[in-house]
Amino acid sequence: MSAPVSSSRSSGGIADALALLKAGNCRLVSIFGSIDDDGSRCVHYLLDTEKREYRLYSGQVQGALPSVTAITPAAAWYEREIHDLYGIAIEGHPNLQPLVFHEDWPEGAHPRPAIANAGAAGEYRFLKVEGEGVCEVPVGPVHAGIIEPGHFRFSVVGDTVLHLELHHFYTHKGTEALMEGRQVPDGSMLAESISGDNCFAHAVTYCQAVENAFGISVPPRGRALRLIGLELERMLAHIGDFGALCGDVAFSVPAAYTARLKESLLRVSADCTGTRFWRGLCRPGGMQYDLPAEKLRALADCVAETARDFAELAQKCLETPSIQNRFETTGILHRDLARSLCVVGPVARASGLRLDVRRDHPYGRYRTFALEVPSHSAGDVMARARIRTQETQISARLIAHAIEEMPSGAVRISIPWQASAEGFSAVESPRGELLYYLRINEGRIRRCHIKSPSFQNWPALPLAMPGNIIADFPLINKSFNLSYSGCDR
Amino acid sequence: MIFDVAAQSLASKSALLPIEQLFGDCTASRMPEVVAGRLNYELACKAAAVCPTQALRLSEEDGCRRLMLDYGKCTGCGRCIEAGGGALRAAATGVPCGVTRAALLRCWNTDNGSEIAFDEASPDSIARQIRSLLGRALNIRQVDAGSCNGCEAEIGALTSPYYDLERFGIHFVASPKHADMLLVTGPVARNMEQALRRTYEATPSPKLVVAVGACGCSGGIFHGSYAVSGAIDAVIPVDGHIPGCPPTPAMLLTGILNVLKGKQVRSYE
Repeated sequence: MSAPVSSSRSSGGIADALALLKAGNCRLVSIFGSIDDDGSRCVHYLLDTEKREYRLYSGQVQGALPSVTAITPAAAWYEREIHDLYGIAIEGHPNLQPLVFHEDWPEGAHPRPAIANAGAAGEYRFLKVEGEGVCEVPVGPVHAGIIEPGHFRFSVVGDTVLHLELHHFYTHKGTEALMEGRQVPDGSMLAESISGDNCFAHAVTYCQAVENAFGISVPPRGRALRLIGLELERMLAHIGDFGALCGDVAFSVPAAYTARLKESLLRVSADCTGTRFWRGLCRPGGMQYDLPAEKLRALADCVAETARDFAELAQKCLETPSIQNRFETTGILHRDLARSLCVVGPVARASGLRLDVRRDHPYGRYRTFALEVPSHSAGDVMARARIRTQETQISARLIAHAIEEMPSGAVRISIPWQASAEGFSAVESPRGELLYYLRINEGRIRRCHIKSPSFQNWPALPLAMPGNIIADFPLINKSFNLSYSGCDR
Repeated sequence: MIFDVAAQSLASKSALLPIEQLFGDCTASRMPEVVAGRLNYELACKAAAVCPTQALRLSEEDGCRRLMLDYGKCTGCGRCIEAGGGALRAAATGVPCGVTRAALLRCWNTDNGSEIAFDEASPDSIARQIRSLLGRALNIRQVDAGSCNGCEAEIGALTSPYYDLERFGIHFVASPKHADMLLVTGPVARNMEQALRRTYEATPSPKLVVAVGACGCSGGIFHGSYAVSGAIDAVIPVDGHIPGCPPTPAMLLTGILNVLKGKQVRSYE
């Protein structure tokens, strides 16, 4: 992917972005802040235009920034984050409460204490739903299962949910600030620790951003190995999600069966690469080391067998009336809502939005594949389960194809990283569009912004809840399967 | 239909791994260890220089130049193995799990490559003790205090048919009030500090706490962030540490059993 990076720092960049968002013919990808070398504050809007082109609009901020949340609801969290992290006033935001910092946040603990208006964030106010018989049910941050922390506040009448509000960012670790000042090759390690189950997608996206910034092209064998890792990660995620959905409707046999399929893929990965999750393999310029042909053959065999077993299992499950009964019409996310919140990934595709970075903004090995992108219009748990089953098969085919036509040669090319550059890169991670923006100053990271699909999709989850019973929340939440750490960073 | 699913599942061969194969195994964690005899001062310098978390560092004591390895900080990135010119390799066994923070340290003489021992333990007696522990029930409450979810992925794998933690009488429970042990991951994120304290307080005594992963042991790669309070033991008392980024299921199982073993010895004293 070529990286059209606008270097304009005039306030015109912001006006252009706002005009495009008002016109409504582009998709908001991300909004993020930065500090220029002279100390002035900047805001960047990343948009996906009608022509399927990423465009970055940047500008310095003097005074308050006009909110676009009323036109593009997807901007709500981004604007709150900029307010928290850069102390930029947002004018006309409907709910400018702290997003990242909770009420007991210590004063002065901030990436930029000099400009911060943070400190004790004050009490968070949940929307109060009033009326006869309305109860509030608080859930989290510590949940019942082996999952990440977050808080959900339900307003219910009996079993039926009227309103759900999220209070997240319990796992905020200041990752973007930690990136700053690091040497370029060290950034990929931190990227791997942003969302552990999608660690390879994060590493590839970071590395591609570096490669785009310096105009470097990874050797074909390196590109093919990256595709294998990315698709394997997607298979693991989708198979695991499908099993968890079955587990949430009390079908423990398929849950155990998918756990077994997942573990067999992890074990063959460990045997093939020395690491279960492909950690440490992706490096700026390519892959850290090559994988021998016989190991790749063993991987291909395991992938084919797993895909076959999974297809058989998924079909039987989805034909079972009691599973259909729980999955169908549960947790519907309507297409219009999905579009206005700029939802991405399998969740978008299950709500009728046919978006996939691999096809829309192809990168690496994907440039030479005509990718099949399934989509469903129902927007319910069943649609999200079906998307995952179909995509598992597509991933398996991509892996088989990549291994069959494996190019020979080097897997890595050296990068003259001790220079200054700017670039970004997007990847279709298992959860959807993942994007890294990087500014590099003499070999060190000056700014790194991570647009995570979970940050984008979390605000859509509460909109799929009203009218559903609270007991279906785990199922609906699992069908979205968003990362808390990826969102909170 | 669903009975076909059960039939398909029953027809597949058992994947269960025997305890003997799991206990002490740390394959695929990419934790390094020194190859005896291959280490020299130059290679030790090269390996320490590329370590992103200072898990490997050089020190000098009584005129003896040493390479110190702190598994509690190691993220298993593999760079030292690449840079160490054959003096380091991925460890297949020997990474301590479920031990005190201090016992996560190993140390080698860089002049002759020999290991300087801190502690000796006979593997035979450990195996015997583990067998005597199996069958005892243990209820674990897992707490994510700010992890990246990599550790959760591996903890979740413990319940898969390969490891089947329940065969050892070990269960994951939904509430800290039902728990004997807290299995805590992540560097403690500031926003989670209070929730972690409250979860600890809600767990009835006697209770065990195990810090999991490089982040749980030392803050890992997030050490020093404005948004992180530190390692788990900076916030609540910890009985044992399991290193790794993330630790493999075999390392988690080894660590949990080792903490139980330590506790059993202590309770008899």
